[in-house]
Amino acid sequence: MIIKHWKLLLLLIAALPAPGIAQDERELPPVTRTYAITHTTVVQAPGRKIEGATVILKDGIITQVGKDIPVPADAKVIKGDSLFVYAGFIDGLSHTGVIKPKEENNRERPKDPGNPGYEKAGITPQQDVRNLLNPADKSIEEWRALGFTVAQVVPHGVFLPGNASIIQLGGGAPDQSVLVSNSALYSELVPTSNVYPSTLIGVLSKWRELYKQATLSHNYEQVYASNRSGLERPVTDRVLQAFYPVIDKKQPVLFRADQPLDIYRVFNLQSELQFPVIAGDLKDGSLALQRIKASGIKIFLSLDLPEAPKDEGKKDDKNTPDAEKQQLEKRKKEALDRRVGQAAAFVNAGISFGFSGLSAKPKDVMANLRRMIAAGLSTDQALAALTTVPAQLLGLSDRMGTVEPGKMANLVVTAKPLFDEKSKVRYVWVDGTMFQYQATEVKKKDDGTKADIQGVWSFSIDTPQGKTENKVTFKKDGDSYTGNVVGGMITEPVDLTDIDLDGNALKFNFKITIDGNTVNVSIDGKVDGTSFNGTTSAGSFGSFATTASKDPKF
Amino acid sequence: MRNRLYILLTLAFGIAAVQTTAQSNRGSVVIRNGTVLTVTKGTQDKTDVLIVDGKITQIGKGLSAPAGARVIDASGLFVMPGIIDPHSHIALEDINEATAPVTAEVFTGDAIDPMQVMIYRALAGGVTTIHAMHGSANAIGGQCETLKLRYGTTDPEALRMEGAPRTIKFALGENPTRVHGGGYGIVPRTRMGVEFVIRKAFSDARDYMAKWDKYNQDKLAKGFRGAPPLYNRRLETLADILRGQIIIHCHSYRADEINMMLKVCKDFGIKRIVFQHANEAFKIAPELAAQGAMASVFSDWWAYKFEVYYASAYNAAILVRNGVVTSVNSDDAELMRHLYHEAGKTQKYGGLTDDEAMALMTINPARQLGIDSRVGSIEVGKEGDVVIFKSHPLSIYALPLYTIVDGVVRFDKDKDPDDMRLFVDPTQSTETTVDHRYDAGVDRCMEGTDFLFGDLSTEEN
Repeated sequence: MIIKHWKLLLLLIAALPAPGIAQDERELPPVTRTYAITHTTVVQAPGRKIEGATVILKDGIITQVGKDIPVPADAKVIKGDSLFVYAGFIDGLSHTGVIKPKEENNRERPKDPGNPGYEKAGITPQQDVRNLLNPADKSIEEWRALGFTVAQVVPHGVFLPGNASIIQLGGGAPDQSVLVSNSALYSELVPTSNVYPSTLIGVLSKWRELYKQATLSHNYEQVYASNRSGLERPVTDRVLQAFYPVIDKKQPVLFRADQPLDIYRVFNLQSELQFPVIAGDLKDGSLALQRIKASGIKIFLSLDLPEAPKDEGKKDDKNTPDAEKQQLEKRKKEALDRRVGQAAAFVNAGISFGFSGLSAKPKDVMANLRRMIAAGLSTDQALAALTTVPAQLLGLSDRMGTVEPGKMANLVVTAKPLFDEKSKVRYVWVDGTMFQYQATEVKKKDDGTKADIQGVWSFSIDTPQGKTENKVTFKKDGDSYTGNVVGGMITEPVDLTDIDLDGNALKFNFKITIDGNTVNVSIDGKVDGTSFNGTTSAGSFGSFATTASKDPKF
Repeated sequence: MRNRLYILLTLAFGIAAVQTTAQSNRGSVVIRNGTVLTVTKGTQDKTDVLIVDGKITQIGKGLSAPAGARVIDASGLFVMPGIIDPHSHIALEDINEATAPVTAEVFTGDAIDPMQVMIYRALAGGVTTIHAMHGSANAIGGQCETLKLRYGTTDPEALRMEGAPRTIKFALGENPTRVHGGGYGIVPRTRMGVEFVIRKAFSDARDYMAKWDKYNQDKLAKGFRGAPPLYNRRLETLADILRGQIIIHCHSYRADEINMMLKVCKDFGIKRIVFQHANEAFKIAPELAAQGAMASVFSDWWAYKFEVYYASAYNAAILVRNGVVTSVNSDDAELMRHLYHEAGKTQKYGGLTDDEAMALMTINPARQLGIDSRVGSIEVGKEGDVVIFKSHPLSIYALPLYTIVDGVVRFDKDKDPDDMRLFVDPTQSTETTVDHRYDAGVDRCMEGTDFLFGDLSTEEN
């Protein structure tokens, strides 16, 4: 019963309108489109570095790179002495900037689930992602701030959601942003929930049937076009027509392959139907290295990684050394190492790859790349997977991937080398448009102004279902705090973990169990005297606005 | 730096390990001095069995083994052919495409999951080959795949028994009528409806076949420019049944509906059919034998729903003695680990001979799957699928010690590690080794069909 309640809640969240970005009145055109980054360190391509160089950008093109280059009179000069210049990053598979459709309440039983029609079955290959782009979508800004300038984007959905496009992350109008339209036919080997095909076996059968039907109708349309006299008119079917470029080998099929066995299903379709294939969002690709290599499939590995384990609870282990548990932990760690070491394993196997941000959170991306590097990927290889390799895999090498004259002005400029832990993005250029990021150091407040949270707080979490009220108690324990939460759905007090009070920034976690599933809840916000304002995130259930006030009685 | 080197080394070795398992799908073993239960050629005492590169090459005394072959001393032990489970749902990611009364086009072989630990558990019960079936939610369900339990690789292809004949699941009675008639108010709601659905499907397939045959014929004429008929994988598959290319495995319980299905087969010229479960098959055993139909039954399991109340533990024995090719099956990941007990029960109920009872779990299921020329008995030239037991397999003290598939020892009771998972999810809790992707204890035959029933249960109450 409770789980139903949460699912409903999920649906409600999904139905909320996407928050718009407040645009500053009217954007003024830049004074100049000529830029000079002077006396800087340029990493032209992985392993090719020039120090003390100047980079000139003019009208969206890199015109000059090298030492002793005169600065044009109309150039805006960026002093690059302590900066590092790299080619803009390319994401091989993502939803960046793509509007998520409103989720329909599909809980009613379909009348005849065996004949749902194309759309309900998730078969919309004719859909064009260009019609679904929102330049103001927050994701564009978030990925660009990391240095991503170009992404191959796909519509949301499962099975055959539609056609991909390669877009620039400059936030321009859809048609202005698109570099390559219909770059791939996108497919996820995942069924819709309650109509045919409702299983993997149904999806794979329908895939083959559609492909064969498309092949037959494509042939017949050509016969008909050559001489229409005396022939039955072919019926046009947009769904089948969407396969024609694939059948003609002019367009690849882009599969999401994030689950361990997905890639094997893709091998079978590829070898049977013989079309060009790209596989993206791979997480356990190292289980199939040799077959991936033999298949020649173009690969984009996921930028998502499972969280690194925390060193908590060590005290307990000392008290009760449990050999079985240790063994399980060891295997879990091996599995985690395999995930983190995926990119290095691909390098060792001689398979080139780009990255996919589809299931990664932007805030984790740079840290994840550093974890992959610690697991054996070299920084040059990591840079190549962000720039030169995806450019090549997507057929964009003549336009991007390196910092060389003639290439598009897609750059990322950092303080400190890119994969340095303290590296910060200072500038990003997308197609010659500059985005500047201020060096804002988060200043910690003095200890004197550190908020005091000891006591009982009434928390109010604003879910689309209404407000839930909880009591949270904090107790001071030396320099840190302990505490618990109770109320609402939580009948017995649950201990808080990771309570972190930094100045007036408060963060803490706890776990609740819903219908046998453990949900990690994290509350994060600012304390102002006796009030609190922040956000609650509850795993995949989403994030909710949260306020609290300290109970004066305590 | 050292740490990084270590990780690189682990990765390198990890990859090497995967490759070795993938390549060593055929092995060589010599089994010395065992009591060899060949099933088809009697029992031979103190005899050696030699398997070279996955095939049985010699059976006899004092055989010389090739270099590198593993030697197993089977003195005092019993050597039998690998057990074949003709009705299983393990090693599959999906089982039921339950959304329509006929889904002949889907194929469980598209969803093989080689990483389920249930496969290893089945090996520990002496099972070497399974019939990985579609569920029973539809009158005509999906095609099934025959798998060899080559546990140890993440590549689904490694488990496929290449060249095994195609099979398909049909279902009569309560399951398809409950799902489609009860759940949606569409045909079939009754047993009559099930017959209608099957007959209509075959009739449509016959028309479809005729249309394509005509088109393919016309195409041979010079300058032909006509439109092809609409391609339909469902009808294509049904046509393949009519062409005799697919063996039907029909979930059924009652004698009347089994008899109905026999007539349908006769009318459409279908020769190869195996009735699965078939609790009342004993009532029409002569009719089954006359038509060459086969039966795969439970030893003594019934009364789990209304249509399974009329049942007998003598079912298998009666069928065997009437000349019906009969097997026992599990339909269950736990029961499949002691199919040798299931076969043994037919000696208590019906007094089958050792060879007759042994055949129920070896050569007979092999016949039902069309693989009896390759597996199901210990004979020279057959595939090296062998189980070595402590005590006779039909004894209540039977215990599998080694299970060998294609000459590779896949289970060795002396070397049976605690954690045999092939895939570990790094985000999974380590409290248990339960594979959360597969909840144990559910009715796999009807898995994934709950949503179809909606509030039906309250209607029925």
